[in-house]
Amino acid sequence: MILLACSGGLGAGILGGMNTIDAETLRRAARLAGFDFAASDLEPIRSAIERALQALERLEALPLASVEPVTQYRMV
Amino acid sequence: MTDLHWASVADLARLIATKEISPVEVVRAHLDRIAALDAGLRCFITVTADAALDAARAAETELAAGRSLGPLHGVPFALKDLFDTAGVRTTGGSKILADRVPAEDAVVTRRLRAAGAILLGKLTMHEFAYGPEGLNVHYGTSRNPWDATDERIPGGSSSGSGVAVAAGLVPLTLGSDTGGSIRIPASLCGITGLKPTYGRVSRAGVLPLSWSMDHAGPMTRSALDAALVLRVLAGYDPADATTSVLPVPDYAAALTGNIKGLRVGVLRASFLDASAPEVRQAVEGAVKALESLGAVVDEVSLEHMGSVAAGAMAIVASEALAYHAEWVRTRPSDYQPDVLERLRAGAFVSGVHYVRGQQARALVRAEVNQALAKRDVLLSPATPIVATRIGEMDAVVGDGRVDVRSSLLRFTRPFNFSGHPACALPCGFTSGGLPIGLQIVGRPFDEATVLRAADAYQRATDWHTRRPPLALRG
Repeated sequence: MILLACSGGLGAGILGGMNTIDAETLRRAARLAGFDFAASDLEPIRSAIERALQALERLEALPLASVEPVTQYRMV
Repeated sequence: MTDLHWASVADLARLIATKEISPVEVVRAHLDRIAALDAGLRCFITVTADAALDAARAAETELAAGRSLGPLHGVPFALKDLFDTAGVRTTGGSKILADRVPAEDAVVTRRLRAAGAILLGKLTMHEFAYGPEGLNVHYGTSRNPWDATDERIPGGSSSGSGVAVAAGLVPLTLGSDTGGSIRIPASLCGITGLKPTYGRVSRAGVLPLSWSMDHAGPMTRSALDAALVLRVLAGYDPADATTSVLPVPDYAAALTGNIKGLRVGVLRASFLDASAPEVRQAVEGAVKALESLGAVVDEVSLEHMGSVAAGAMAIVASEALAYHAEWVRTRPSDYQPDVLERLRAGAFVSGVHYVRGQQARALVRAEVNQALAKRDVLLSPATPIVATRIGEMDAVVGDGRVDVRSSLLRFTRPFNFSGHPACALPCGFTSGGLPIGLQIVGRPFDEATVLRAADAYQRATDWHTRRPPLALRG
């Protein structure tokens, strides 16, 4: 999981706000997340990742400002 | 009794308890059935025939001595191959864990054995439960028994669990359900599958796909059987911190057949209206059947359904990759291609995306709770399409084509996201003879009402008693 996040209209992830992403950019982003994928491994899933990221960006439009995320943490 | 392999859990338990049939006879009948049909159906990764016969002989001895092991004494069962079984390999349907032999049973395995049930083996599944079609390149993809010659998908990820019950290889299996993995194969194979409320059944000793979305539950041929089994499975477990301390009711006692005044909300927008015409027709028929039994029906829509796919993806992709990270780095070639692609995609989900997913989840949960504030259950198709051919990537719905994978998940995943209990059961067949599934959703921890509605429907119809043509050959 990529821990860096952008805001201010650039989306909620390191690749947020990018309409098209080439495999080399994906490879570098994966590297930041700790995964050494080859660009050739990512090319087949590039368009699926683009669609997924666009869908994830749409979550930003939900009325979530005062919604606490679901968590399952228990002290004991 | 002839055709022991078609006997229900309830009948087998009763006939064994009254010594009309012996556990050995029952186990042998099912092992014979597996030997005759499984080469074609490809349900089992491991058959534990010797251990099952030993357990059946022990069960017979106990009965002869007047001791009952519990409500499932002598009843055979099988497990999706991600439930740990002491001394029996548990592979997750993977090459990576092909030789993994747990030292202990999963909690639900232990509870079934403690109730007297007898394990016949471990069932195939979509690798690591990460796919709704039920595909597996390592152990073979189970064939849907309703059209096995045409090589149709069984639905997944609990594919072997669905096929084994539908084909009469075993009367009871357990599945896990992260986006619909109990209900999708139940829908495509024409059986009854129950995803309980999140926290109702322990997942301790179950290989995870996504900790916050995983559920475990029974797959049977009737709501009554699911009720009997759920009572054995459910309840607090200190090894699974998400389990509830709420008392476990006698679910079977709630199955009165009476649903007069039951308030049923039909999910039309985004559900019925997004289904294939034959699916829509069958589910509308089920609505009429429930109405004729005294249910009070209205329509309800859920505004935030459009956020479920993305929100669930943010959660499942992140949690799945967290579990698999080391193997994705070191053994990528040991995954089947579609699963590796999904896992790799998880690397591009940010921490903010994950939290947004969990926030969207709270929103959807509140919305479903609100819909259920004035209704007892919600109703929808279990899947918008029926079983497709293996390898087909899209299917026709009305005038358009839809992606098979996302379509299979579309109606079930919202209730993993929200955590509500949901049951899939057969409500008709297409003109080509393929099962159509109905989904009944209830309030949190109110599985009793979900099962009461399902049972009342099954008392009034015979869809759940139909047998697949391939399975009749055995």
